[in-house]
Amino acid sequence: MTHVLFGVGCVLAAVWVFVDALNACESNLKRIQWVSRASAVFMWLSFLVGGYWYVVFYPADKAIILKGPWPFAHEYFMETKEHLVILLLLLATYLPIAASNPLAANREARRLVLWLAALILLLGLIIEGHGAIIAMGVKVALLAKQI
Amino acid sequence: MENRTVSKYTASFGLALALSSLLNALLVVVKEKSPVVQAEMKSLTGHHWVTHAAIVLVLFVAFGFLLAQFKRGQGLTLPVNRLIQTILAGVVAAGAIIVGFYLIAG
Repeated sequence: MTHVLFGVGCVLAAVWVFVDALNACESNLKRIQWVSRASAVFMWLSFLVGGYWYVVFYPADKAIILKGPWPFAHEYFMETKEHLVILLLLLATYLPIAASNPLAANREARRLVLWLAALILLLGLIIEGHGAIIAMGVKVALLAKQI
Repeated sequence: MENRTVSKYTASFGLALALSSLLNALLVVVKEKSPVVQAEMKSLTGHHWVTHAAIVLVLFVAFGFLLAQFKRGQGLTLPVNRLIQTILAGVVAAGAIIVGFYLIAG
């Protein structure tokens, strides 16, 4: 579940960028840029590790979920998650590009970074929630098998 | 006077983000509705999702660099408010298409 850890890292870094961008000044510009890069790196790591796990190991989980009482954990939540995560990857990749503008002197660029960080936070939490329901889908299927 | 513009790559990759997000959602609908497309995508990389992600990421990078070449390399001059609205519209519409598709068609 390393990809979850990296995903949380991406979301936390986006929150950091949001807070720092609210108070953007010359002294924290470099930090905003570095943390926005960290958010992108965390997201790419999460995507690569999660993608590998999804392609190689998830088919076994999928078979268990579909035989259990929560087939929607795959049919809706996993199907949605695997495509929403691409949106999150695009947003996180774009964040350092937007943060490279002089945020202290440019209120409009600051607003752009705030919106991006907020979208990453919102989408990140939605995707983490989806992941939790998928994991529960496996768990309830295995529990139902034992009863 | 306060600076109200952003770099050409911020504008071009912002538009590329909105466009690629929408194409991501449309590709979901097309591949789920057409088994031929999905099989073709699977044959390219071994998994339809890997091909899907690769297409969207390549388009994002290509659009970003192409749009930056507009106006003889000066890039697009877009008000930042409009850029924010375009990104929001693209990402929210893409999310709604994906969620709506799997809620209804799934």
